[in-house]
Order: sequence, then C-alpha cells, then structure tokens
Amino acid sequence: MSEMLSGAEILCRALVDAGVDVIFGYPGGAIMPFYHALPDHPQLRHILVRHEQAAAHAADGYARASGRVGVCVATSGPGATNLVTGLAAAHMDNSPVVAITGQVSRPMIGRDAFQETDIIGITLPITKQNYQVQDVTELADVVAEAMAVAVAGRPGPVLIDVPKDVQNQKVEYRGATTTAGATQVPRAGARGQSPTPGASPGSVEDGVRQAARLIKGADRPLLMVGHGVILAEAYAEVRALAEKTGIPVITTLLGISGFPDGHPLHLGMPGMHGEVHVNRAIQNADVIIGIGLRFDDRVTGNTASFAPQARIIHIDLDRSEIGKNVPVAVGIVGDARDVTRRLVAAVEPRRCERWVEHIRGFVRTRTESYRGDLSPEAILASIYEASHGDCTIVTDVGQHQMWVAKLYPYQRPNTHITSGGLGAMGFAVPAAMGVHLARPNGTVWAISGDGGFQMNMAEMATMVQEGLPVKMAVFNNGYLGMVRQWQQFFHEKRYSCTPIWSPDYVKLAEAYSIPGYRVKDASELADVVGRANAQPGPALVEFLIEQEANVFPMIPPGGSLSEPIEAAPAGAAGD
Amino acid sequence: MSGVLSPAAHTVAVLLDDALVTLNRAFGVLRRRNVPVEGLALHPSGTAGVSRLTFVVKADAATADRVAQQFHKMIGVRSVMVLANEDSTMEAKR
Repeated sequence: MSEMLSGAEILCRALVDAGVDVIFGYPGGAIMPFYHALPDHPQLRHILVRHEQAAAHAADGYARASGRVGVCVATSGPGATNLVTGLAAAHMDNSPVVAITGQVSRPMIGRDAFQETDIIGITLPITKQNYQVQDVTELADVVAEAMAVAVAGRPGPVLIDVPKDVQNQKVEYRGATTTAGATQVPRAGARGQSPTPGASPGSVEDGVRQAARLIKGADRPLLMVGHGVILAEAYAEVRALAEKTGIPVITTLLGISGFPDGHPLHLGMPGMHGEVHVNRAIQNADVIIGIGLRFDDRVTGNTASFAPQARIIHIDLDRSEIGKNVPVAVGIVGDARDVTRRLVAAVEPRRCERWVEHIRGFVRTRTESYRGDLSPEAILASIYEASHGDCTIVTDVGQHQMWVAKLYPYQRPNTHITSGGLGAMGFAVPAAMGVHLARPNGTVWAISGDGGFQMNMAEMATMVQEGLPVKMAVFNNGYLGMVRQWQQFFHEKRYSCTPIWSPDYVKLAEAYSIPGYRVKDASELADVVGRANAQPGPALVEFLIEQEANVFPMIPPGGSLSEPIEAAPAGAAGD
Repeated sequence: MSGVLSPAAHTVAVLLDDALVTLNRAFGVLRRRNVPVEGLALHPSGTAGVSRLTFVVKADAATADRVAQQFHKMIGVRSVMVLANEDSTMEAKR
C-alpha cells in the first residue's frame, strides 16, 4: 500500500529501511523539515553534537568500529562546511560515512542565498560520490544507493544534499525501487560502480602463484599489513599466512590490532616513528608482501631508498593503488581476506628463524627519563590494566598517537582507531562517541594531547546530554608536542607558537558534571585510572607529562628509513 | 631514458555520464592528481547521456595507466582507453 509522504519523511524511512539506528547531527534552517519528521521515527537515535565536525568524526568512529555506515546530518552553508574535515578524514582512511546536508530551496540555488554553499563542489574530491536530490521521487533510491556505495569495494564517504523544498515535497511513497549494485538500473551520476573496477594485471590465480613462488625463494621475507586487513576482517588469514611461513609481520598505523601484539612474529609499526629494528627489517628484506596498505609516505620515507633489495607483492582491493607509490613485482587486485586465504593455500610451509634472529639483532633499547616517572608506557599500561585489556582506544594526532601506536599492547582486532591519512587533530573525542554507540557494552578511551583535546572538548556536553560514557585521557605537556619536536630537531629549537595554555581540566570536567582527575606521578596511576575506568558515565583524566619528551626514533620527513634520528640533536635541550 | 623506449605521451579516452557532477569529478581527478595534461576535449559519444572525454597525458605508459585507473574507479565512468601516441618521441623533442 502506498501513501503520501514528504521528502523529509521519506528520508527518515529510507534511513530506517537501510538499517540505520543512530545519526549524529545538528539542526538548522535548511534541514528543519527533516528534523520535524525525525521524532516520528524513534528507530533513529539522534545524537546532538556541539559542532558538525564532531558529527562527521563520530559517524566515522561508528563506521570503523561497526563496519556499518555511519550517518551524520547538517544544515546547509556553515553546517555543511563544518562537516568537511570529518569527511576528508573518512575519505583518507576509507571509512563508510553518509552525510546528509540540507540545501536552500531549488529556486534559490545559485543565487547566493542565505546559508547557501556549493557543498557538492566543495566535497567532490573528498567523497566517493555525492548527490544533490533534484526530485523527491529519486530520494529513496538515492539514499539506498548512497548507503551501498559507501560500503562497496573500498569504503568511503558519500554526501547527499537535499534542498529544503524537496524535503517538503509530497509524493506517493513506495520505498526504494532499486538496490544499488552491479545489476541496478543505471541512473545518471551513479553508474560504473563495480567491486573490482578496471583491468586487472593478470588474474588473481596467476598473482597468487607468482607470489607463492617469490615467497618460497625468499631469504628475508616480510609481511606488511594495513587497514585493508581490518576492513576485510582478514585476521585469521594473515595469522595463518604468517604462521605457515614463519614470516615476521609489520602493522602500519591503521593496521595496528590487525595482528596481535606480543605474537612472536609481530615486529611493530614501520615508518617515520617505527622502531629501528622494524625499519631495518624493511631495508634488508628481499621480499615484502603488502596486504591492504598503500605504502604511504609516512611508511616509506623517501621511496627512492625504500626497501632497496625487496621485490614487492602488493595485494589491494583498489587497482589504482598497485604501483602508485612504490614499484611492484606482483600486484594482486582483490579483497584482503579472499586473496590471503588463497595465498595461505598456495604457499609451502617454511620457517624464517635465521632472518627473525637477524632482525632481533637490530633491536635497540633506549633509556629516557620522565617527570614523576610518568612515561607514556606507564600511562598506557595503567589503561590496559584498568580495562583488563578489553577496551577500544581512539587516539588523536601527534606524539601521544605515536606512543599509543608503539606501546599499547593490542590483542583484539580493530581496537585501535585513529585519524591516520588526514591526521586530523580533534578526532579522538567525537570519534570515541561513535565507537561507544557501535560497541555499547565495551569500554572506550579517547586519548588526546592538550592541543587536540581543546579542539573538540565541547563534545563533553554531548556525552553528558546523550549519556555516552567515554573515558578521556589528556596527555598534557603544555606544548603542541609533535610540532615542538620538529622545531627542536629541524627549526633550531625555535618554539614558535607551540607552547599552549590549558584550562584546569579537573574544574572543566566538573563544570560539565563529569568526574575529573589529575595525575602527576606514576604512583597515582593504578588508583586514578582504575577509578576513572569504573565510572558509569564519562570521565576525564589529565596526565601532566614531561614537557619536552620526544617520540624516538624518527625518520626526518623525506628521509631514508635507513637513517633514523635516535636522540635530540646536539645543543637542543630537553632530553 | 625510458622515454626513448616508451612513448612520452598517451591519449586517454574516457566514456562517462554527461551529468555535470560526473564531469566536474572527472576534471577534479586530473587537477588533484597533478596529471600532466594537454589537449583536453569533450565530445558527445553518439549514445544519449554519455560523453567522451579525451586528453593527452605527457608521460610514460605506467603513468598513463595510473591515470586511467583513477577514472576506472569513478562512479559514472563507463570505460577508459589508453593509446600510445606514436609521434610522441618527436613531440617530446620539440
């Protein structure tokens, strides 16, 4: 039976039909019809954020933690432009987010109307696809298609711009007529989507056979796994490949938790802040099997000197990634789980004991001193202990992000969430709200520096109003620490505009009716972090850490993985 | 130099929806991927609703292929063809 519904009601229905249960948003003029219809759809839980950027990051966090589409909503103009950073972060890290924006009414478009922006034009390069709905009869199909496009193949964000008069237009509602996919009826602006687009460089079978042959003949093989392993949930397959061949495993920043820390074959994170032995392993490897990573410049350093002896086998869902950043000997286009499973079947069992022993010889130990013994390692150990190793860690961007990546002992898959590609400060606090909604029975810690925390700390109000028990850790060193580190190393220690003042975080938390704690000494860690972790609602812990601590080692930007900085340059104090 | 063996210019022909947003996205790919483009042209394809975008990439085959792959994954693109320009070595010497 059909019925007359407004565009706004259709929008709500279509979201419910697509299985959406939570949306993050902020109302405003051009999206008001949608907000008028929303209370009639209690299946859609709306989280009122304090800034639209937080809505996009929260939807991203929800998507990464659940593997389902995260949805955010904003009004036209400033509401829509505030989403941009969050959409760019989701685009860089392949997170399926659907953003719905209000737009001025169709007769006003192009006339520089109040709160009009060309959000389609603005978001073209940071979305997989975007739509401006010109006719209400298309709306249900567009929503269904957007939800499908966001998760299909290599995931990413999609934006739907809905003019206000389209939201108010009434039409007979029949639901979505198409389900998006290869067989759908083509519609303008939406064709050509297929999971493995483009010509493949030979079949997957050929690639797997060649890869197995290279692995068999290798003396010093390495596995490098990235976000694709988490997106494809290829954990068991990667582990089986490593264990059948004895090949040591490197996890990129976004691949962390794709392979268990502490496994005898796990080496750690590569690249700019990778440990010396990890980068040395890369520089000495003769075969590298890269699964679901894009050989980002933070991983490779200078590509001209990256892994000079290695023939690279690259497995990626996106054909355009093969050979984009580094030359590849064997490129295999396909889903990480599927291809790795085939590779496990094709490789002969072997061991790499001498090679692993060789890598062990590269391991360096460092001794650093920290104020109050409050080392990043001790803080992270206290969070691990308090949560019994069972929580999701969401990090922001900067020094703390690298410490967490290197030092937190991840055991469970997909429990490390961070803004990798875009490196968006302010990500952790709102993204953690999304993670909580995806995993309501789990504990979520949002770890930020004092800089990034202050970017989106207004979201504490969202946590209180919406009942989101996110635990917040603030690593406070009084500096924009990573930038200060670069100034110390590369800019003559001129700390230009990096000292940053903070409010009293304990009082701030109190103002939001959240329990707040301050830790100055390692001896307080177990008690305070334990109490914060046990709070039924949100809680905030500030850690007063060493002001000029650095993240070591460090490959200078554009430098070779063979030449790490392992101590502060002479004349630069602080260590 | 590899330019002697591999033609230094390639023509890429993309068949795509002639929706403005699709064309906008296509030009955006060329701009944002920093593609060395010459001689951009847009024609009707002979099929209603489909345009043919052709351009010359002043680069080797591998680079032209990478450009083509960026179009392959774009929604609204129906096919992509890469042709080596036979006289490109001459052009490159100009």
